Amino acid sequence: MSPRPLVATDRAALMLQLVPYLVGKGEVSLDEAAAEFDVTPAQMRSMVEKLTVIGLPGDRGYWQMSNDLFDIDWDLLDGQDLIVITNAVGLERAPKLTAREVAALLAGLQLARSIPGVGDTELYAGLLAKLARGASATPAEVILAPEPVDAVRDLVADALRRHVAVSFTYKAPDAAPTTRTVDPVKVHIASGQWYLQGWCHLREAMRTFHLDRVSDLELTGIPSSHSEEPAPAWFDSDAGDVVARVRFPEAAAPLLGDYLDRAMVDTADGMTVATMRVADELSLRRLAARRSGVVEVLEPPAARRAVAEWAEAGLAQYR
Amino acid sequence: MPATAAAKIPPEERLLNLVVALIATDQGLTKDTILTSVAGYREQSEAGASKDALEKMFERDKESLRGLGVPIETIGDWADPDDLREARYRVPSAEYELPEDIDFTPAELALLTLAGGVWSEGSLSDDARSGLRKIRALGDLVDEPILGFSPQLNPRDPAFPALHQAIEASRIVTFPYLKPGEGAPRTRRIQPLALVEYEARWHVFGIDLDARDDRTFLLSRIVGPVVAARGSFDPALREGAGERALAGLEAVAARNSALLEVNPGTEAALRLARRATPAEQGIRVPYVDVHIFADELASYGPEVRVVQPADLRDRVIDRLAATRDAHGGAA
Repeated sequence: MSPRPLVATDRAALMLQLVPYLVGKGEVSLDEAAAEFDVTPAQMRSMVEKLTVIGLPGDRGYWQMSNDLFDIDWDLLDGQDLIVITNAVGLERAPKLTAREVAALLAGLQLARSIPGVGDTELYAGLLAKLARGASATPAEVILAPEPVDAVRDLVADALRRHVAVSFTYKAPDAAPTTRTVDPVKVHIASGQWYLQGWCHLREAMRTFHLDRVSDLELTGIPSSHSEEPAPAWFDSDAGDVVARVRFPEAAAPLLGDYLDRAMVDTADGMTVATMRVADELSLRRLAARRSGVVEVLEPPAARRAVAEWAEAGLAQYR
Repeated sequence: MPATAAAKIPPEERLLNLVVALIATDQGLTKDTILTSVAGYREQSEAGASKDALEKMFERDKESLRGLGVPIETIGDWADPDDLREARYRVPSAEYELPEDIDFTPAELALLTLAGGVWSEGSLSDDARSGLRKIRALGDLVDEPILGFSPQLNPRDPAFPALHQAIEASRIVTFPYLKPGEGAPRTRRIQPLALVEYEARWHVFGIDLDARDDRTFLLSRIVGPVVAARGSFDPALREGAGERALAGLEAVAARNSALLEVNPGTEAALRLARRATPAEQGIRVPYVDVHIFADELASYGPEVRVVQPADLRDRVIDRLAATRDAHGGAA
């Protein structure tokens, strides 16, 4: 995560977490602490320096004595970029979790729970109880409906753990099925869909497979030889070669969802034209038909014709 | 306020000095003591800032700290609790700190680390990370991380953050809601109780104050700003709301099921398979919202035919006709 601009309250919140972290660590490098707090090393240095003017109030009319303030080992900080607290005047124990922090973690746990073999009921129950006790206020309920887990998901999770290759039939949209052997590297889970990223023995490259399009999946006895391969950035993998232009009323933009993340968008008189890359022309048929004509494919012309034919073929079934 | 050197003390230093002072006191500190002795206030007092300005600053600081989850207790006059002139302020450390007897096992930390990473953007991702930091500060237990899985949550609906905040604060909200087939949005007024993700769509569940009944709204149909009212409702209403919302959605799905004929081996067959049960003539698929399901089925074009119900079939036909006509009609 990239360091973000902080306002005074954010900085105060970070410093309240910084003291228990530093006390727990004993000694820690500037870089490591900066990474833990998502700030730059320079920001971390200034936070640590700032700490040394924080302390207990002096007695009425007197300034604070030095042991009333936090202090650090300045030689270590200046000479070796190491942080060590030498005097603490409170805040040693981490603050309770805010309602938002608990809500964010609880929702994440519900999603993690949908992964076969990750944690058991007892582990989750224990965590829920601890988070509830550690919260400073009741979190807003954020509930994720459990998704049905099928055999394919179960087996893929198993293969990842055992570091073995899987073989399966893959049916890409509008293409003939192929048989693949893949060293699994990572499973992405987004919007209820599972995507397997792995080294494809057929293509000899990293590929992403939508698990709904996978069938006849089996674990092979072949040890996965590419499981340390760096997985490509998630969205890179579906950038396509076809440049498409689509038109829709500006207000309908949310219908396009993440399609627009990588699009060039031009809006005039309430109508938007988006230029974007898609994997193949045929995928535009489904995109347009899902938005019942509100989203209009302009180019390429073949894709526009294909949309009309697609809808017409659908209609023909009802005559 | 005069532009003295004292006024330049950064506000976060003042906030932190205030927390340290309020935690260190058992009996509590009066406002007067705070303004004249806590660093950050004291300098401004001595530089001649007006008492009124300082008191306002103190009020704002208290609110900021409460927003961070710092529990500031006000101990009023025993005889007259409404008289805050002699009130004392403190932060009870038992309320502020994570309880002494809470710690996390390495397996729990590994699971929490996975859970904390699911928010791909937005403020809940910062909250998850900050929560994890507090937990990690309890003890630096090293465990094997859970590798190979990257679960992600990314609520794109603009209404999500405002609704989340309103639920947490138990505030009534209003928002414009556009139902499919209605020409204009209608303003809804609800007590929001829970956010629910169901089949990859976010819903807000709450009590509709005009209908005087539980209602579930799709966030994607909220077409304008979510406005929170000043007052709050009884937070007890929120208890168990998530379970109730989920049960409601599941009951709707159990009631609505479509009979479909699907061409084997097609995209439609693959995408519907996990939700389907076999039927005599094709497959049965439950659905929650007829409009959304009709959108999905229309996208499959000739790969799927709706047998029942008629309502769903008609909506799919309308969509396909509109799509064809928008793209130059039949060849």
